[in-house]
Amino acid sequence: MNRDRDDEIREELDFHEAARADLLRSDGMTGREASAEARKRFGNRLAVEEEVLAVHAWTRLEQWWSDVRLAVRGFARNPVLAATAVVTLALGIGPAAAVFSVVDRILYRPLPYPGEARLASFGMKAPIEATEFLMAPAYFNLRGRQGPFEMVTSWTGRTDCDLTEGEARRLSCGMVEASFLETLGVAPLMGRGFTKAEDKPGAARVALLTYALWRSRFGREGGVIGRKISLDGQLTEVVGVLPESFEMPTLNAVDVLVPAAINEAAQGRQGTLVVRAFGRLREGISMERAAAELQPWFQDAMKDVPPMFRKEVSLRVRPLRDRQVGDSVLAARLLLGAVLLVLLLACANVANLLIARGVARELERAIRATLGASRWRIARQSLVECLLLAMVAAAAGLALAGVLIRVFAATAPGGIPRLTQAALDGRVGLFTLGAAMLCAALFAVASMGRTNTVRLGHGARTTRGRQGWLRIGLVSFQIAVSVVLLQGSLLLLRSFWNVQNTALGFDGEGLMTAQLVLGQHRYPDAAARVAFFERVEERLAGMPGVASYAVSDSLPPSGQTRSMIYSMIDVEGREPAPQGTGGMVGWRAVTPGYFRTLSIPVEQGRAFQEADRIPGQDSVVVSRALARRLFGDGPALGKRLRFGRIGPWFTIVGVAADVRNGGLTVAPDPEYYLARKRTVTGPNPGLPDMQRRAFIAVRTSLSPEQTLAWLRTEIRELDPALPVEVESMEQRVGALAARPKFMAFLATLFSVTGIVLAAVGLYGVMAFLVSGRTREIGIRMAMGATPSRISRMVLGQAGVWVAPGIAAGGVGVVACAGLLRSQLYQVGQYDGGSIVVTLGVLTTVALVAAHVPARRASRVDPSVAVREE
Amino acid sequence: MTGDSESLQGALEMVVLKTLARGPNHGFGVALQIQDTSEGLLRVDEGSLYPALHRLEKRGLLSADWKTTPNGRRAKIYKLTPAGRKRLEDVERTWLTLARGVHLILEAK
Repeated sequence: MNRDRDDEIREELDFHEAARADLLRSDGMTGREASAEARKRFGNRLAVEEEVLAVHAWTRLEQWWSDVRLAVRGFARNPVLAATAVVTLALGIGPAAAVFSVVDRILYRPLPYPGEARLASFGMKAPIEATEFLMAPAYFNLRGRQGPFEMVTSWTGRTDCDLTEGEARRLSCGMVEASFLETLGVAPLMGRGFTKAEDKPGAARVALLTYALWRSRFGREGGVIGRKISLDGQLTEVVGVLPESFEMPTLNAVDVLVPAAINEAAQGRQGTLVVRAFGRLREGISMERAAAELQPWFQDAMKDVPPMFRKEVSLRVRPLRDRQVGDSVLAARLLLGAVLLVLLLACANVANLLIARGVARELERAIRATLGASRWRIARQSLVECLLLAMVAAAAGLALAGVLIRVFAATAPGGIPRLTQAALDGRVGLFTLGAAMLCAALFAVASMGRTNTVRLGHGARTTRGRQGWLRIGLVSFQIAVSVVLLQGSLLLLRSFWNVQNTALGFDGEGLMTAQLVLGQHRYPDAAARVAFFERVEERLAGMPGVASYAVSDSLPPSGQTRSMIYSMIDVEGREPAPQGTGGMVGWRAVTPGYFRTLSIPVEQGRAFQEADRIPGQDSVVVSRALARRLFGDGPALGKRLRFGRIGPWFTIVGVAADVRNGGLTVAPDPEYYLARKRTVTGPNPGLPDMQRRAFIAVRTSLSPEQTLAWLRTEIRELDPALPVEVESMEQRVGALAARPKFMAFLATLFSVTGIVLAAVGLYGVMAFLVSGRTREIGIRMAMGATPSRISRMVLGQAGVWVAPGIAAGGVGVVACAGLLRSQLYQVGQYDGGSIVVTLGVLTTVALVAAHVPARRASRVDPSVAVREE
Repeated sequence: MTGDSESLQGALEMVVLKTLARGPNHGFGVALQIQDTSEGLLRVDEGSLYPALHRLEKRGLLSADWKTTPNGRRAKIYKLTPAGRKRLEDVERTWLTLARGVHLILEAK
């Protein structure tokens, strides 16, 4: 507080009191009365002093604060309007924040590796594999020269491994090179990474725990470092714990990292071990330049690719993020775009509301301007009102976003990376704040449109001038945006419908499945595995109510099928194909009950029988697609095939109908089936060696719950330590349709919100215009216009604004069609049916929204209306 | 201060400016003059006069000096600045238009 100013003010007021007292005395009061009266005139003298002092103390911030209080009071006087505006805007901001929290992780948020921009995933791109890969010899060759990289590293995938101490637990072990953490720039939370010596075959076993495993299994105790744990029955020393933020560059879930310990000598030049390679680029080297610099090495590596495949193999170097998110980028952009459109719709509505309020308050403003409020002061007041509105809406929107994120997580499809990580955090908060500020600026511009030209003569009259047009423009815009949103959501819905109703080629209804993977420790060799599955089959056969059962190494429609290069399939008496891979052919080793259990029709010949399982009985069943591809329309039965150039010839005994084997939306690969043997067979790549992973499928007369519980119990009795996943086939298929479902769900949510907002906007403007024309309507009715004619007139006017909106929406639909194409399944981006529905729905909604004001107009009482104004 | 009193405050500031246009004066003098000139219709409350004076001074529409009055007291004398004069002209014009408009509305049958 300023002492001098304080004194000065007191002196000034003292003077006033003294002068007043002098005057009163000269009017005949006694000195005492005069002083008392003079003081009384001031009321609370201290309060006056304070107030005068406050004039000087007022900083800019305090002036804003007084504007805020003014705005709060203004909204409190009109709570319905304020609530409508806040709810509308929150409906726009909430979904936007929720979707941003999801797509941020896909599109923008930095990965948990320092200097991630320099991290590249590189390798060969070939039709046999969805993502880039390298053969180990090629990788070692590169590691020797480094090229554009400061450092390279690799991992060879993950295996199921068992924590076999205490309560057995199935874990996922990632097998990585010693340089893995260092290349990614990740430091262990505790302990250390692997040394080169540990990354050699036969070295003492060591492991790094992920944070999640350390917490859940080891209670976050620091003493875990150096402890020996039993991994697959082998004592393994824990050398470190990974930080909580750690994730595999491929986003695979792992519990433990172990050294890959590749036997480099054994790989030699012809090794077929597949590795995934990552590199940290040297400073200043772009992905393109790196690709160019890698060419000599790549050409060298190509020499080891069989000549017939070389044409189809290319080099791929791309940022880690691209490797991680793949085609989700498009879906993410689409969702973000859609939700921003909804936000725009909400903004348009609130702007419309504020314009209406602004018109009503023009007189108030004109008076304030006259009484000395500066233009800036009035504009600032408007801005503060808009900001206040936007901030309250942002808070409500964040709460809504929290709910939506929980809904997302509950319906989280596997296809969208990082969806389950979505959460409200600082970045989402900033995004929300930014969106709210932008909205506030928009509102301010809309609602102050006329402040600069406030003139008294025009103040008191309702306007249908510039702002009237602005409002109509906003409504047309809303209609246009709604058209785009609705059309998009209809396409996604149809697409989802198509996915749901894709003919799978087998009957999943009532089919129960169990998946199990035999651990390395308890089942070290094929003989042990064969013995285990023998016992499984015995149990299945003995189960009451089982109509049929099957054991297979994979089940449709998910893409875990084993596969064979088409051109590596020889037909007896035919020259091998000279060029190209010919794509992939899926194959499974199945028990004879497979076709019956899955209800896959065997169209020619027969399904497998027990006899086909006898060693030396080499039979094969091919899918219709494979038969057609190999033999055209000619006969396939009795022909003999060989897989992978070596091994025995298999006789085709049956042709089965095609099934989906690469997911729901991908056209099925051709496929063949081999009979699952009961004995150990040789290491021939074409033969069904007993894989660790197996699926059991059963069809029973019991309820699904009973069947699943029974499957679990039976397997537990065979091996209590063996983890088993039981699931109905419908659940498995449903999981594959989750992503189209998610997209369709969100798009529908957005388009419904959008349509409601547009309808409310249209209604508001119509009601406003009708009330502005009450007098005109009254005169018309006095002149003999019928109510229905009036109502038609109003509707007609609504049509004049809606039509351009719908037309503009049509243009928008065409413009956005290309974006959607990749998300659609078996529906064109210009699907006629959807367009008709879109136009129909919006026209109906517009008519209904305009109908209420139109009816009100037709009920105007002429005598009242003419007297108004 | 309430939103409504803010409107009145604008009016008060205009009246203060107008009063000081006739010549420099102290706060008490301004109060007396307003009361006299308005034939007693407007009586300025001390509680709002001084904040108004200080506000106008702060906005540069008034300037102030401490002077000694004939009867020996020190008084703060306010004077219109050129900006204040300009402001007064603007405000007068719009106020008269408003007053005329309101008058016409009130008188309309």
